[in-house]
Amino acid sequence: MATEAVGGEAPTLFLRKATGLVRGWSVRDSLIYACLATNFVTLGIYEFTFAGPAFPKGQLLTSVVISGIWVSFLVVAYAGLIVTIPRAGGDYVWQTRILGSGVGFVMAATGWWFILWLWAPIYGNILSVQFFQPIWATLKWTWPGGGYAWFGTKNGVFIVTVITIVLAGFLVSLGMGGYARIQKWCFIGGLIGFAVVVGLLLFNSHASFVSSFNLEAHKLFGVSNAYNATNHAAAKAGYTTTPFGFGPLGPTMLLVPAMMFFILWPNWGATLYGEIRGASDFRRVFSGMFIGLWITVILTVIFFLVIAKTVGWGFYQNLNSLDYNLTPQFGIWPYPFLFAGWLVHNTAFQVILLLVLSLWFFGWVGTLFLSSTRVIFAAAFDRVLPDRAAEVSEKRKVPVWSLILMLAPAVILGAIYAYSATFRTYTLDATLVIAVTYLFSAVAVVLLPFVKKDLWRASPASRIKVFGVPVVPVSGVITIGLLVYNLVMWLWKDQYFVNSHDSLLYMLAMYVLAIVLYVVARVVRRRQGIDLGLINKEIPVE
Amino acid sequence: MKVFFATDIHGSEICWRKFLNAAAFYKADLVVLGGDVTGKVMVPIVADGGHWKVTVRGQAYTLETQQELEDIQRQIRNAGSYPAIVSPDELQHLSQEEGAVDRRFTVEMTQSLDRWLDMADGKLRGGEIPCILNGGNDDIWEIDDIIEQSPCVSFAEGKVLDLDGFPLVSMGWTNPTPWDTFREAPEPELAAKIEAVAAQVPDMERAIFNFHAPPYGTGLDEAPALDDTLRPIHGGAVMKPVGSTAVRDAIVSHQPMLSLHGHIHESRGVKRMGRTLSINPGSVYGDGVLQGAVLDLNAKKGKVARYLLVNG
Repeated sequence: MATEAVGGEAPTLFLRKATGLVRGWSVRDSLIYACLATNFVTLGIYEFTFAGPAFPKGQLLTSVVISGIWVSFLVVAYAGLIVTIPRAGGDYVWQTRILGSGVGFVMAATGWWFILWLWAPIYGNILSVQFFQPIWATLKWTWPGGGYAWFGTKNGVFIVTVITIVLAGFLVSLGMGGYARIQKWCFIGGLIGFAVVVGLLLFNSHASFVSSFNLEAHKLFGVSNAYNATNHAAAKAGYTTTPFGFGPLGPTMLLVPAMMFFILWPNWGATLYGEIRGASDFRRVFSGMFIGLWITVILTVIFFLVIAKTVGWGFYQNLNSLDYNLTPQFGIWPYPFLFAGWLVHNTAFQVILLLVLSLWFFGWVGTLFLSSTRVIFAAAFDRVLPDRAAEVSEKRKVPVWSLILMLAPAVILGAIYAYSATFRTYTLDATLVIAVTYLFSAVAVVLLPFVKKDLWRASPASRIKVFGVPVVPVSGVITIGLLVYNLVMWLWKDQYFVNSHDSLLYMLAMYVLAIVLYVVARVVRRRQGIDLGLINKEIPVE
Repeated sequence: MKVFFATDIHGSEICWRKFLNAAAFYKADLVVLGGDVTGKVMVPIVADGGHWKVTVRGQAYTLETQQELEDIQRQIRNAGSYPAIVSPDELQHLSQEEGAVDRRFTVEMTQSLDRWLDMADGKLRGGEIPCILNGGNDDIWEIDDIIEQSPCVSFAEGKVLDLDGFPLVSMGWTNPTPWDTFREAPEPELAAKIEAVAAQVPDMERAIFNFHAPPYGTGLDEAPALDDTLRPIHGGAVMKPVGSTAVRDAIVSHQPMLSLHGHIHESRGVKRMGRTLSINPGSVYGDGVLQGAVLDLNAKKGKVARYLLVNG
């Protein structure tokens, strides 16, 4: 029997060679996941277009830093859950174990399944405005009818949503093996693309940007003196921006719930395998998510600084405000990287830059349905869903039914999204519903030391203390504060578009659907002689 | 007939205790443990001048009283590790002399199993509740004789046992792993072993295969892909099938009523292969949670009437 001593000259444990004893995974891998999940390009820049004009007195830069600090506590709380119960399935597993089967199912089904139907059209819209539209505009392609503008039509939005859904479904069916490698290269390529943008904005003057903007806008869109025209149009619409800076705090705090659209997801891909857990695992898990989160925050800050220096903060906000008021300049979403590329008057360069920056999207889109299929499988194994939901086709190893459960509703909602302007405001629920799921996991982490005493005592997370106070449950409390603050703001303030009557009904319907599914499953299974209540009931030890 | 099946408890004493109570808890007629009973980790507790020093999960403790010692031993056992009380000289000897750790591991594993079987005698009312164990690829050979000699536990390895008309075929061997463990064989050899024991089954339609290795490519055998240094690649997100093709072929060709598996802890799941229902309840022994499958077998129809995967 081969053995290994751990702990140097005076070993603290001996391992014998046995199945499953693997080394911990690298921080680098997990930080890439965290960074792509809190995707500053696809989600962040997309959100700034809305957030800046919605809260014109707030400061985006300060709100991102505040959000980063606050979400860091969520990272600590989740790292605690991961090292204590290191299981694939994440929130579903933790909540069913700590809070009960029913709560776990309802929260996981709504937060990791139903709501992701709604993320499909959001992803589709992002693909449209950050990939198809700018490339079509740059190349002056006129096919399909209307050229780049076609992607903003109802048909265009729907077709691109379907492309996104097919792409994400295809990547799930391929498996993570190849895609994980693609992700890594996408991340590296995306960073290089961003570095080029920063370089362009850093080494060019404001005057140079203005003249380039005017020149290219005229060339591509036939608009003369576009820079001033943009500012005048925004002023005419009654929009006035606050100069770039750090305060005031009150209006800036209103931006925090909007920042959650991109910054709340450092824990998105957080699972851990390995059976020998120690304090180092907590550090490793925490570091991956934390560094990933703060890379996002730092990239965002750099972006704001170079925008303020060269593009002009007021102009950037004016561009966003025009889009926010549904009168986008040039009839196109104001993609700052498109405009940065205009500093080089070469179409090939501009297109290549857009393609490289699109790696932020392609490195991230495949994660859309991955978590959902895991939750569907877990619920099927728990007999809450029919067994068929977990079936994988023999030939192609494709999770057919779970994909259908994801793809079919996503396509239907994608169509509604494309053809109903009202429905688009519901997409802001996308963040809220997942935040509710996180809230229950935060409650679970606070209750963990009391509900699962032995598990907590044995966890490396229980030994992370500051002045004798356990950091993980306290971080859980702070995370609850973050999530409750956001939920209150989303439901209270009209500017987030979440608290409309129809939107609330939509959200409520998802929770009702999950509850109905669970209750029906309990009743049907009971008739079959299966007691679902037994699933997580602990066997007495003595 | 109701059967409770669990597997891969890897030395976790809390899981063993739960396993012994599972029959009463789930109202099962018998309990089956599908291999990998023994643990993988030994934690030295250094006795030095009236106190003891130990490091558990990275945290160093100095234990002053017998009660503290017993508490930490219980914690270590519950996590699936073996507490080994040693003197400073013994620790040095263990860390320096080749083979010393192996020998100590064997002593701790066999002593622990002896203790477990004594517990079983009381809990299972001296064999009134049938309890069946077999080996797993991580189990040392020495456990076979110990279990064979137990009055209240049946050792099923390589045998066909009759469970009220349902033949149970058990096999702890697996296809090769990167860890080169005890009961591993290349696929052709494993296929021959399976066929040898399957040939003894009188009625395959009512048969239960209790094979430690899960069938290849069924979703019951998905483990994190590893690099050459046994580190999960891409953050553990990339999984690959690592089950046995011999087990898969045996299920496909013989079509037993039910097949029960373990080995791949992360791959809790259920799969239908023709008329065979295949189950891997997975294992989270390190959490002190006993994952298992509660199976209702219909004796008249010769099929699985109901099943439920549980986290007990």
